[in-house]
Amino acid sequence: MKKDKGSKGKKLFVKKADDRLSEDSPAKSKGTPDEGVPSMAEKKKPEKSAAPDKPDKLPEKPDHLPEKPARKNTVESDPWQQAFADDNTILIKRTVRSGQCIQFDGNVVVMGDVNPGSEIIAAGNVVVMGALRGVVHAGATGREDATVSAFKLQPTQLRIANHITRAPDGDYVAPEHPEIARIKDGVVVIETYQMGQDRQSKIG
Amino acid sequence: MGEVIVITSGKGGVGKTTTTANIGTGLAALGHKVVLVDTDIGLRNLDVVLGLENRIVYDIVDVTHGNCRMKQALIKDKRFEGLHLLPAAQTKDKTAVTPDQMRELCDNLKKEFDYVIIDCPAGIEQGFKNAIAGAERAVVVTTPEVSAVRDADRIIGLLEAAELREPKLIINRLRPLMVKRGDMMSIDDIIDILAVDLLGVVPEDELIVVTTNKGEPAVLDGNCRAGQAYRNMARRIAGEDVPLMDLEANDGFVSKLKKLIGFK
Amino acid sequence: MLDFLLRVFGKDSGSSRNVAKERLRLVLVHDRADVSPQLLDDLKEDLIKVISNYMEIDEKALEVNLDTSDKTVALVANIPVLRMKRTGKRAEKIG
Repeated sequence: MKKDKGSKGKKLFVKKADDRLSEDSPAKSKGTPDEGVPSMAEKKKPEKSAAPDKPDKLPEKPDHLPEKPARKNTVESDPWQQAFADDNTILIKRTVRSGQCIQFDGNVVVMGDVNPGSEIIAAGNVVVMGALRGVVHAGATGREDATVSAFKLQPTQLRIANHITRAPDGDYVAPEHPEIARIKDGVVVIETYQMGQDRQSKIG
Repeated sequence: MGEVIVITSGKGGVGKTTTTANIGTGLAALGHKVVLVDTDIGLRNLDVVLGLENRIVYDIVDVTHGNCRMKQALIKDKRFEGLHLLPAAQTKDKTAVTPDQMRELCDNLKKEFDYVIIDCPAGIEQGFKNAIAGAERAVVVTTPEVSAVRDADRIIGLLEAAELREPKLIINRLRPLMVKRGDMMSIDDIIDILAVDLLGVVPEDELIVVTTNKGEPAVLDGNCRAGQAYRNMARRIAGEDVPLMDLEANDGFVSKLKKLIGFK
Repeated sequence: MLDFLLRVFGKDSGSSRNVAKERLRLVLVHDRADVSPQLLDDLKEDLIKVISNYMEIDEKALEVNLDTSDKTVALVANIPVLRMKRTGKRAEKIG
């Protein structure tokens, strides 16, 4: 598995400038799950300089992790799937703990929790089969169609491409269903993850 | 031109981070411009104690490596306009920053802030050396335990060797009742042994756990005894002459007992 | 009330406070006594200077060490005296 020390190796993406999170960003308000109401407010900055560069050096591939290209046979019809069809995916079969950083030029699937203080940075989608409580950045190289999904989606901070959101201050209800975050109309929205609903169920 | 103060202790778990958060907030509450710098790279905690953990985008390593501008990494506190946090990196290690970079960072920060308060990691290795590199004054935190006082003595020696003269001492988690019945070293015992000036004494206070749970510094809680102690220390750092608070006035156990038998 | 409590729980507990203080004092003497050879050399030179005012000593054979035993730390100096000086420092000053 990829555990980049950060100090060595290239950053996979360019962090977005200027958009400080210091001022209170709108809070995440839970909509009724089946309505699919936008629930996590977004902070975005469609600024040109923020367009992340393609990394010129990618993290080494883990040698002991199963890793395979996305399935090809189901993708032709769906442009969204095509976008990720050629990506590599890594499977992380453990809990990602504080201080650990997974950086990968593709999709990241974690079978375990992602604890506060850890970071998942992926060029593609991030799927967490557990609680996602750390910092997550999907589409880190600029893909606005990347998604983040988790059984319990409670990230410290959630970034997709160059959009950043964070959990609201104060208490909020812990999610009871798997949820998926993605950008819709330039806004990061969080919805209940539904099997079979449009395209999510067919992710290769 | 501001002042750079490092909060250190040698031993872990004596309350450096809590002290940093509270003195910093106390100084900001007095109207000063304050920046708190977490140098505990790999084990950052100041952000959580301040309740600012979900706002971090850049950290101290990004600043020292030039990945972002200083202003971008500084996180504004939710409560005080003048309070800022420069968080440590969590996914890197202590060698990511050098003492020279810290010195430069502190020089830049003190141009903009009245107080630059550095939260030092436990231990006496690289992280400690980084933390004290840019400091002009030092505050040593200890608790009334042999292990903590011994480590404080070692740290004071190292600070003096690094030309940080006359460090000030904070005695944390003192339990006046235990001192009274002869089961804990007193303020005088510790001062006697360490031979340094006292900055303040913090009584043991359960509310510290509660305020830390919530991510709100204890100085903001008017009823918190430890908060009162930290407010006093902030004023002393700002140059006021504040007498030591009466620690026994409201000792936890006694006050509980009083409540129990209907005083209050 | 407090006094009563103190009488019940207090004074007779053997005062771990003083035990702590004494142990700590001892530990710190040991810690601080961990001096560098440089410091010992400086001390040696100063000793030679002072003692030479009163007697002639064999500078090469002079030994200065810190001895640590269980309970104490002692500065042990072995200074072979070659000859006493007739006039001490005091006499010189007067003269």
